[in-house]
Amino acid sequence: METLDSAPSTPARNTDSKPRTPSPFPSTVLRLWRPHAQRNLRNQWSQFALCKNRWSSASSAGRSHATDLVNSHLSQRYMPDMNLGVLSDMPDIRKRACLKLFKRQELQRSKLLLCYKDMVGIVHDMINVRRSMKCFFKGSNNSSLLQFSCNPADQSDFGDGGDGGGIPVFKFYSITSHEKFAEELVQMFSLELCLKRLLVLEFMSIGYDNSEVKQLHWSTQLFEDEFKYLRDCNLYCEVTHGPVPPRFRDGKSDIGALRFDNQPNPEVLQVYLTTWLAEANIDTLKVNEIFAVVGEEMHVSII
Amino acid sequence: MESIVKKFQSKFRKVREEINRWDELQSYLISQFRNASHIVDRLQLLQNSNNHGVLNCVSGMRDALLEKQIESLRNILVSMRKTLEEFHCIVLSLDKIHRDSRQLVKGGSSQLNKKQLQQQVGMKPSLNYCLDSLMFIHEIYNSEYLLKSSLISALSEMALKNSASDLGALQQLLFDQPNVQTEEVQFVFDMIFAEELS
Repeated sequence: METLDSAPSTPARNTDSKPRTPSPFPSTVLRLWRPHAQRNLRNQWSQFALCKNRWSSASSAGRSHATDLVNSHLSQRYMPDMNLGVLSDMPDIRKRACLKLFKRQELQRSKLLLCYKDMVGIVHDMINVRRSMKCFFKGSNNSSLLQFSCNPADQSDFGDGGDGGGIPVFKFYSITSHEKFAEELVQMFSLELCLKRLLVLEFMSIGYDNSEVKQLHWSTQLFEDEFKYLRDCNLYCEVTHGPVPPRFRDGKSDIGALRFDNQPNPEVLQVYLTTWLAEANIDTLKVNEIFAVVGEEMHVSII
Repeated sequence: MESIVKKFQSKFRKVREEINRWDELQSYLISQFRNASHIVDRLQLLQNSNNHGVLNCVSGMRDALLEKQIESLRNILVSMRKTLEEFHCIVLSLDKIHRDSRQLVKGGSSQLNKKQLQQQVGMKPSLNYCLDSLMFIHEIYNSEYLLKSSLISALSEMALKNSASDLGALQQLLFDQPNVQTEEVQFVFDMIFAEELS
């Protein structure tokens, strides 16, 4: 997964209502530019749709692992008081059952972690898509052949903005508008990723012995290179030396006193599972609307 | 005579299709109902901020969660109404099959007399029996549709008042379909298609 070291996603600079300075390119050049830009946008948006689907499957797999983990944990917790009927005569039955439940939790924890890792990768891919929507002119000055590239590294060649001077790529929307749509989606999924991270930490902590050295904190790296990925996604805060804290939309959060409870109430666990399911930061209607608008613009169905 | 019985048998085949469709919808409705009642159960839990654990550090999260859940509940209720509408279509179709069949023997040019209606040829059922059975099937499914309709209204009301106490009872009624007597319906089909069975 190659990352582009361009500046972290900043809000789009140009709006359609404020046209750019007249395009430095003659219309014949733009006529050549357009099909390339269109093809690129089609590809990028279908990539984005793919990311969205990957997210749904990772999220639902994560939820079922988390549910399983919670159930095993609760069964283990209730084991000493459980009425085992005729089975209670079997030697060490409780101990063995507990061991089995413990092992199951270990397994589910690692599966849940893998799902989270997938989700980090997905947001990372989304951001790459969002950064690859422009289409630049490329090629040497002495060649009469025009070439095009979608790699921002080629930007300097002609000094163009990669947006064809702000003209609509298909019917109505310029590259900048497409980027804005993508940015809006990236925002939602990034916020949800932070929230999921909080939940993952919580699910990983349940059942852990307090004295254990492995106690988890917000600034604990959950898998190798996690922080590298989060940095690329603009989700790592260099000031606090930790991942960006979870938020709900524009709200605030206070994770200063954050402590993960290793024996939360069943009710609390249920609320966590519901939170995982609800994806509060992802406005499904808005997401569908964006994909519908973009799909109609490009004359392809990308949902 | 014989050809009329044949026509009736094809009507019963249509009835069987409708009933199969009903069963599909039933399992669909049950899963919708389950989902809805899970959410109604959860709503109370979500309202108490003590249950939110570490999530309390994210401001606005509790309200957002509640809002999302209520939205999902609303969506489920809307799609349950749609399912209910499809049940209604089945009932209407059963009614139409019954009325068309009456028309077949009692209206039009080929008016049959009482004796002909009661006449039984071989293992074939009498026309009267066919007519009565069609009416019977329409009636039981119609009452079941009405029951489902009021169950869903009750569920919507509970969701509004946020009381999950009687959800179990509602769910049981929905599962049981007390008006639909499967054995008797099966018996009717056995009679109508007795020839094919033997």
